[in-house]
Amino acid sequence: MKMIKSIIRPNKVDDVKDALAKLNIAGMTVTEVRGHGKQKGHTAIYRGKEYNVSLLPKMEIEVVVPDSLADDAIKAIVTAARTGEIGDGRVFVMPVQESYRIRTGEREA
Amino acid sequence: MLDAAAGGEYHDMSVTEPGPVGSKLTAVLAAARAELTADVRRGAGGRAALERYSDRVDAMLRQLVAAGGPSEDVAIVALGGYGRRHLCLHSDIDLLVLFGGRIGAAEEQFLRAFLHPLWDIGVVVGHQVRELDDFRTLEADNPEFLLALLDARPVAGARVLFDRFNSLFHTPETHAHILTSLLQLIEERHSRFNATLYQLEPDVKESPGALRDLAATRTIALLTDPLLLRRGPADPARFDDAEDFLLRVRSALHLETDRNLNVLSHELQERTSDLLGYPGTEPRQRVERLMSDYFRNARIVSRSLEWARKTAPAPVGPNLGLSRDGIRFLDPIQAARDPSMWIAAFQAAIDGNTEVTEEALSCIQQHVDRYRADDFFPDEASRKALLRLLRPRAGLYARLSEMHDCGLLGRVFPEFQAISWRVVRDFYHKYTVDEHTLLTIRSLEQLSTTTDPYRQRLRNVLNELAEPELLVLSLLLHDVGKWRDDDHAIESVRMARDVVDRLHLPDDARDTVLFLIRHHLRMSLIAFRRDTEDPDIVKDFAAFIGTEQRLKMLTLLTLADVQAVSPETLTPWKEELLWRLYVDTYNHLTQRYGDERIERSQAGVDDLLAQCPPDLDAQEITRFLEGLPQRYLQLFPHEAIYRHVRLARGIQPDEVHLSIERQDSSVWTLAVATLDKPYLFSNICGVLSSFGMNIIRGHALTNPSGLVLDVFQFTDDERFLELNGDAQQRLLHVLENVVAGREELAPRLRGRERGALAMRSGMRFPPVVRADNEASSRYTILDIVATNALGLLYRISRVISRHGCDVDLVLIATEGEKAIDVFHITKGGSKLTESEQQELTTDLLRILEETQ
Repeated sequence: MKMIKSIIRPNKVDDVKDALAKLNIAGMTVTEVRGHGKQKGHTAIYRGKEYNVSLLPKMEIEVVVPDSLADDAIKAIVTAARTGEIGDGRVFVMPVQESYRIRTGEREA
Repeated sequence: MLDAAAGGEYHDMSVTEPGPVGSKLTAVLAAARAELTADVRRGAGGRAALERYSDRVDAMLRQLVAAGGPSEDVAIVALGGYGRRHLCLHSDIDLLVLFGGRIGAAEEQFLRAFLHPLWDIGVVVGHQVRELDDFRTLEADNPEFLLALLDARPVAGARVLFDRFNSLFHTPETHAHILTSLLQLIEERHSRFNATLYQLEPDVKESPGALRDLAATRTIALLTDPLLLRRGPADPARFDDAEDFLLRVRSALHLETDRNLNVLSHELQERTSDLLGYPGTEPRQRVERLMSDYFRNARIVSRSLEWARKTAPAPVGPNLGLSRDGIRFLDPIQAARDPSMWIAAFQAAIDGNTEVTEEALSCIQQHVDRYRADDFFPDEASRKALLRLLRPRAGLYARLSEMHDCGLLGRVFPEFQAISWRVVRDFYHKYTVDEHTLLTIRSLEQLSTTTDPYRQRLRNVLNELAEPELLVLSLLLHDVGKWRDDDHAIESVRMARDVVDRLHLPDDARDTVLFLIRHHLRMSLIAFRRDTEDPDIVKDFAAFIGTEQRLKMLTLLTLADVQAVSPETLTPWKEELLWRLYVDTYNHLTQRYGDERIERSQAGVDDLLAQCPPDLDAQEITRFLEGLPQRYLQLFPHEAIYRHVRLARGIQPDEVHLSIERQDSSVWTLAVATLDKPYLFSNICGVLSSFGMNIIRGHALTNPSGLVLDVFQFTDDERFLELNGDAQQRLLHVLENVVAGREELAPRLRGRERGALAMRSGMRFPPVVRADNEASSRYTILDIVATNALGLLYRISRVISRHGCDVDLVLIATEGEKAIDVFHITKGGSKLTESEQQELTTDLLRILEETQ
């Protein structure tokens, strides 16, 4: 199993969800986050005064998928979240050792 | 004692022989006095005896009136202590002689026939003579008379006349006035006695704790809360006993001194204690017992009065009092009949940072179903009062909730009633639709008072709204369409249309409210679901929203709406997204609008041409519009645009065409059309300042053929325009001369600026000046934020012109003490170079710092 954690633009959440749904990946955790990567924020101006927007609003989507689906899922996310501009986000992939279903206590390999 | 001056002119001092009526009266009075004297000698000159004596005097007066013949249009009314039936042996008999019609010869004759026999038999009459119509206006300068009228009691003559007097006199306004006067009279009287009841020789009428205080206590209760004394510090029976005691002492004093004397002097203390039968072998013992009874009773009166003064509702408006538990109706019966004052109760509660009392809420709840929406705001003043109530401030949510709970909100806005307890099942909302709606208003209220540094930026936006009540009205109605299950925003607009009609909102306010309701979901959709870093998204949204005021309102509405969904819904993350969309759109609206010019095929132009009035033709309108910023079409309603076209018609160099209109009680609008030339904008601003006008909002627009259209909203604090019939001509004359270079502006302004500088208010902001070449493709944008002051625009624009720059577009706004101006400038047809920008901003900052 792999955990895929994607940091994406807020307006891309629906596209990414739809793309994952097409792969029958329905379970996911979506979190509002703030941060920056290379984009590093920028300077905005309001009424002649500059202010820094250093941490930008982003969305984090976490899914756990079988190893066999991982590549397709990553591709789906990257395609759906891409605009080609700085600030499109990142995808992190991590191995998952085991998982348990809380209701039943059942272990999933 | 009552002032008898009003009746003075009717005195006829000629001595008349006592006739048969006089002799009869003498006998009746003598018998009554003998009876009272006997009572007093037994030490029983208290309430019961005085009431008997008053009744006998009543009978005597009735006899006298009957002897004078038919008396259909006159009433004899007992006032003050006599009205209360507490007439002592030597009390003045205070009377009102009330005539139904005008006082003529016949009425004067009646007065003589009535008063002379009384004087002849030695009665001291304190009389007032009035026509019924006199009571249509309040005798505000005669508080003692007004107080005495509260005890008015019909004695003889036409009862119906007395009833008519009652309905004229007993109004909430009169009661409020009397209460205020009474409290002042008490203060003054007490100060004469060094504000202590423990006088060694007390005046049993005037001293603190004596009879006047006792009457005052009852009056305060009568005027505010008739049940007040039941909750007071003394048992009502003990309060009555104190009265009886004080009256017995007063009766004894009158008997002992044979005159209207009320001071319980040392000498009289001995005689009074004997008369009242105090035990003790030594006079000193008897006196001590009398005085100890006196102080005990005076203390009961004094404490009751203190309690009444502290607890009684303070009048805060017609029929409204502020008591410890909140705002109450002073006269609930009157309140039940007049629903237009109910809104005022909630306004008073917000103003006083308190609640509306349970009794007042029950009164409303009991009667609310009898009234229709229009009954609550029958006239312009009450419609304005309703809107004023909706201004976001501490307490608004709580008061609206009270209004909702007692059924008032749903009656004032039947549209709101449709969503009462309405449940809409979705994944997000946690509350019924009505409560969600009220919580949106609470969210705004919290923002208006927040001290959270992170939220100050949004609080500032709220504070900058010219009409925040329209935002609250929009919030109140934004979800009313949810009573149906389909597209609720459209249904909400349909329903809200009835509300704005009933409130007679002006067109622009009406359009704003309906716009906000129709599009209340739009901004959250864009902020949270669209790529707001895409300039086209922001550009489209700016075009859609049109003006900064609407942008501010929709931003706050969205914020409040999201926050009221559930406590978790508005995260700092969402707030940041919303803020960024606000800033980007604001910048677009204020800095980039010069890039988007009106073209022939422009949306909105067709409508303008289709509705064109007969004196204008399509060609004239398109020629005028072409090349003006697109925003012009959103800023002004059609009627104003037609006016501008007429203003620009056939304009020649050095000519200035202007129109001045009063927008509301304090704001005027000036539109000026002329052809561009150096220093033009600065000159126009300077002329306005030289007449004392304070420019608060405005737009200066230039089209490519050099036509300049400046539209200013300003206040005329010195009322020059209002007070001078030829003001517009004078203004035009000076403007033409200055623009044509025939008159120097500097001397006109010098004196005024000195005065203005001397009168500056305390609020100061460090000025901000920022030049930017990125925002617009055509212009250097100059953002200036500074403390507002008379002549500020003149000073700024003069510096800009001195630097050889052309002012093509200006956006002028004032928010509180802050002036926010955005200039679109060029130099020789191009944007300014970096060094030119530097020189200009340095110069501007210097000027602003010097004069701020």
